[in-house]
Amino acid sequence: MDTSSLNIILKILHYIFFGYAVMAILSYVVLSFISAKETLLYMKKRSFVNYKHILSSTMAPPITIIAPAYNESLNIVENVRSLLSNHYANYTVIIVNDGSSDDSLEKLIAAYDLEKVNFIINEKIKTQPIRAGVFKSKNPAFEKLMVVDKENGGKADALNMGLNISKSKYVACIDVDCLLLQDALQKLIKPFLQNASSKTIAAGGVIRIANSCTIRDGELIDIKLPKSFLVRSQILEYLRAFLLGRMAWSRLNGLLVISGAFGILDKDIAIEVGGYDTNTVGEDMEIIVRMRRHMEEKNEKYRVSYIPDPLCWTEAPDSYKVFISQRNRWTRGTIETLKKHRKIGFNRNYGFFGLLSYPYWLIFERLAPIIETVGIIYFTILVILREVRWEYVLAFITLSYLFSMLFSILAILSEELTFNQYKKKGTGFKLILLSALEPIILHPFVLYAAIKGNYDYYFNKKKKWGTMIRKGLATS
Amino acid sequence: MTYLTKLIDEYSQLPLIIQLAWAISALLIVAIIFLIIALQILRKSLRIRHKEKVTYKKRYEGKLINYLYGGGVSSLLTAEQQRCIEEFKNVVHLKHRRKIIVSILFNLMNQITGEMTEAIKTFYFKTGLIDSAIDRLHSKKWHVVAKSISELSRFNVCEAKDEVAKFIHHPRPEVRTETQLYFVTLFKFDGLHFLDEYQEPLSEWVQIQLLEILNQFDDQQICDITPWLQSTNDSVVRFALKLAQIYNQFEVKDTLMELLTHPTKDIRLKSIQVLTSLYGIEAKEVLKANFESLSIEEQISFFKLLEKLVMPDDEPFVEKHLFHKNFEVQLLAVKILKSLNKDKFMGLSTEVYEDSNPKILEFVKSI
Amino acid sequence: MQKKKIVVAEDNSTLSMLLKFRLEKEGHELFIAPDGKQALEFIQEHEPNMIITDIMMPFVNGLEVISHVRFKLNKDTPIIVFSAAGQEEMVLKAFNLGANDFMSKPFSPNELMIRVNKLLD
Repeated sequence: MDTSSLNIILKILHYIFFGYAVMAILSYVVLSFISAKETLLYMKKRSFVNYKHILSSTMAPPITIIAPAYNESLNIVENVRSLLSNHYANYTVIIVNDGSSDDSLEKLIAAYDLEKVNFIINEKIKTQPIRAGVFKSKNPAFEKLMVVDKENGGKADALNMGLNISKSKYVACIDVDCLLLQDALQKLIKPFLQNASSKTIAAGGVIRIANSCTIRDGELIDIKLPKSFLVRSQILEYLRAFLLGRMAWSRLNGLLVISGAFGILDKDIAIEVGGYDTNTVGEDMEIIVRMRRHMEEKNEKYRVSYIPDPLCWTEAPDSYKVFISQRNRWTRGTIETLKKHRKIGFNRNYGFFGLLSYPYWLIFERLAPIIETVGIIYFTILVILREVRWEYVLAFITLSYLFSMLFSILAILSEELTFNQYKKKGTGFKLILLSALEPIILHPFVLYAAIKGNYDYYFNKKKKWGTMIRKGLATS
Repeated sequence: MTYLTKLIDEYSQLPLIIQLAWAISALLIVAIIFLIIALQILRKSLRIRHKEKVTYKKRYEGKLINYLYGGGVSSLLTAEQQRCIEEFKNVVHLKHRRKIIVSILFNLMNQITGEMTEAIKTFYFKTGLIDSAIDRLHSKKWHVVAKSISELSRFNVCEAKDEVAKFIHHPRPEVRTETQLYFVTLFKFDGLHFLDEYQEPLSEWVQIQLLEILNQFDDQQICDITPWLQSTNDSVVRFALKLAQIYNQFEVKDTLMELLTHPTKDIRLKSIQVLTSLYGIEAKEVLKANFESLSIEEQISFFKLLEKLVMPDDEPFVEKHLFHKNFEVQLLAVKILKSLNKDKFMGLSTEVYEDSNPKILEFVKSI
Repeated sequence: MQKKKIVVAEDNSTLSMLLKFRLEKEGHELFIAPDGKQALEFIQEHEPNMIITDIMMPFVNGLEVISHVRFKLNKDTPIIVFSAAGQEEMVLKAFNLGANDFMSKPFSPNELMIRVNKLLD
C-alpha cells in the first residue's frame, strides 16, 4: 500500500519534470523559428533604409538622454563626451549626479565650463531633492548638456529626476558607463515613428559586451573576443538572449523587459504610470511591465519594440563574485516585478500579455532555477537510494545538452548572418567550443546565483535593503 | 562489427522513450555538425567578401575621382573618361562589385551638388548601372524593388517615373515609402500630389523624410495645402500641419481654425501650436470661450500661445487661471502676468493662495 | 600661388579623397582627418593656413574644433564648416564661435574652391 502510493507520487513527479523539460525545449524551438523569420524581415528592411534625413532633421522628435551617475568620477568626462557626439539633430543629455561622494561634479564643471542656472522642476514624480543645483555649459558647443546634482536616491530615483526635467517627447535611459554608438538614437527612435497603427511605448536595443574591445575616444575601434572564459560565456549568453529570445518576443509583441543599459521610453506614459519604482532592484523590467499594464487597462493598442543592431556596448563582470551578485540582483528584480504585477498572470483582460508573456516569464524564467534545483535534489536522493535508472539519465542528459548546444550555435549563426561583429579568424572555432563548454561550466554559476537571489529575497531582507541603497550603476 | 550489432541489439531492447531520446540526439548531432560546417564556411566567405569590399572600395574610389576630374572644358567625355566608363561597364554585372560602386556613388551624391552630380549621373547611365536598377523593379522580392526605387531617386532618374508610379499603392509600406520619397525627390512639391487621395497611413518616419527632402530645395514655392488639411486621413492632416508651420502658410489660417474642433486630440493640439507660430490671434477668443472643455494638453498649448501673442486685454483671463491646478499652466500664467502687469505680479508674491505653488512665484520673480 | 597647408576634417572617405585630389591639384598641402580629434592633432602639429571641418563628426565635433582653435590656441586661421541641411542652428553657433564661412551639404566642390581661394588670399 505504502510503496504503491509512493510510486504514484514519484510517477507524477517524473511526469512533471518531463513535461516541463519538453515544454521548455519546445518553446525554444518555436521562439527560434519566430526569431529567424523576424530577423530575415528586419535585415530586408534594413537593406535600403536611409537614415540620412532623420539624423539631420530638426523635425525629428526631441529625445532626452538621461544618464544617472553615481561615483563615476574616473570616466565621467569621457563618457559624457561620447554621449554628446550622437548623430541626431534634436537631442539633449541630462546627467543626473545621484549624490556621488566623489569629485564627479567638479570634474564635469571644469571639463564642460558648467555654470549653475536658475531652474524650476515640475515634480511630477516625487524624488530626492536637488543638492548643488542644475548646471549648463557656458560654451555653446556643449549646449545639449545639462547636469543635475541631487541627493542620493538610487538609480530609479535619478531616472525619475530626469523624467521630471526632460522636455522631450521621448527619453533614452542609459547607463553612463555604456558606450553608445553614434547612430544609436536614430536607429532606436525609428520604431516609434514608423508604426502608424499602434503606439510604440518603449523600445530597446541589444546589449553587447565590450570587455577586451578597443575603445578609443568613445568609439569602438576593434572588436575582440575576450580571453576570460566567464566573459566569453556571457557573450554567448547575450547573443542567445537577444538574437533568439528578444527578437521573437518582439515579433509577438510580448517583451517584458527593455534593458536598463539602453532603451527609449515614451515620456508621457512613463510619467503617467508614476515613473521608475524606487523599491525594486529591477526597475528597468518593472517600468515596462507597468507601462504595458497601463496600456492594456486603457485598452489602447501599443507596442514594445526591440531592434537587434549592436548599438550599446557595456562592460560585463569579469569576476565570478561580481557576476553572481549581478545575477542575484536580476533574479530578485524578476521576482519583485512578477509578484507586484501578479494580477496580470493568466488574466484574460490582459490579452496576450497576461496569457502568454507573463506566464512564460513566470514558468520558464522565474521558476526554472527552482525546478532545476528540486530536480537535482531529487536525483541525488535517488542516487543515494540506488534507485537511479542510468539508461534514462544518460539518454536525457545527452539530449538536453545537445539541445542547449544547438541553440547556442543557432544564435552564433544568426549573429554571423546579420551583424558579424566577431570577424577575426579563429573566433568561429572558439565560439563553437564555447557553446560546448558553456552549459557545463557557466550554467552552474547562473543557477547558484539565481538560487541565492531567491534565498535573499525571501529570507535575507537586510541584504535587500542594503543593495538598494548602495545600488550605483550597472555591474561594477 | 560485433560491437556494433551488440549496440543495435541493446538499443532495440531499450524502452521506447529512451529509443526516441537517442534517435533525437543522433539527429541533433547531425544538425550541429552541419551547422558548424555552415558556420565556418559562412565566416570564411564573409571575411573574403569584407576584404574584397575594402580593396575594391579603395580602388573604385580612386578611379571614380579620376573620372570626375578627368573632364575637359566641354560637357563631352574625354577619352580618358570614356576608357574609365568602359572599365566599369565590365564589372557592373557582378552583384557585389556593383553594390560597392553604387554605394560609393550614393555616398558622394549625398555630399555634393552642382556640375559634378551631372558627371556622376552620366556615369550612372553610361556604365549601365541604371539598366540594372530598372530591371530590379520587376523583381518579385519587395525589398529588392524598394532598394532599386531608392537608388533611382538618389540618382535623379526621372525617366523611370511611369514604372515607379505603379508602386504607390503597393501592399508593403516600405515600398510605398520609397515610391513617395522618389516622387518628392524628383518633382518637389508636385511630387506630393499622391496625398490627394491617399488612404493608407503616412507614418511620422516618412513625414520627416519628406519634409527634409523638401527642405533641401532652393525653390520653396509650395502649392495649396488646404485640401490636405481637410483630408479624411488623419496622418495626411498631420503632415499638412507641419507644412503649414514650416512654410508659414498664413493663407490657411481659416482652415486651421476649423481644425481646433477636429475629433482627434493631437490634431487639435498641433493646430494650436501651428497657429501660435503663425500669429493666429483669431484663435484666442475661440479657445478662451471653450477653455474649460479643453484637454489639459490643449490648455497648456493655449497658454503657450498666449505667452507669445498676449495683449493687455487678456489680463482678466490670465488672472483667472493664475492658480490653475496644472503646474505648467500656472507657471505660464504667472510668467504672462509678470510681462503684462508687473505691479500686480509683485503684489501676488506676498499673498497666499491655496493652490499656488510658492516655488513658481519665486522662480518667475528671479527670471 | 604659394603652397598652403589645409586641414580637412571629414568622416566621409570618398568626399575627403575628392577634396584632397582637388585641392592638391591647386597646389596645396592637405591633411585629411577622419574625425575631430585627429583634426586637432593635425592643427597643433602643422599649423595650417586653413581648416575645413564638418560639423557632425565622431567624438570631437566641428564646433569644438572651432572653439579649440579660437579660444585655446587663440588663432584666427580661416575656418570653413560643412553642415547638413536643417542644421541652421549649428551653423549660427559655428559663426558665433568664429567660423568664417559655411557650406551646406550637399555642396558644389567648385564653389568650395572659390571660397577657399577667397579666404586664402
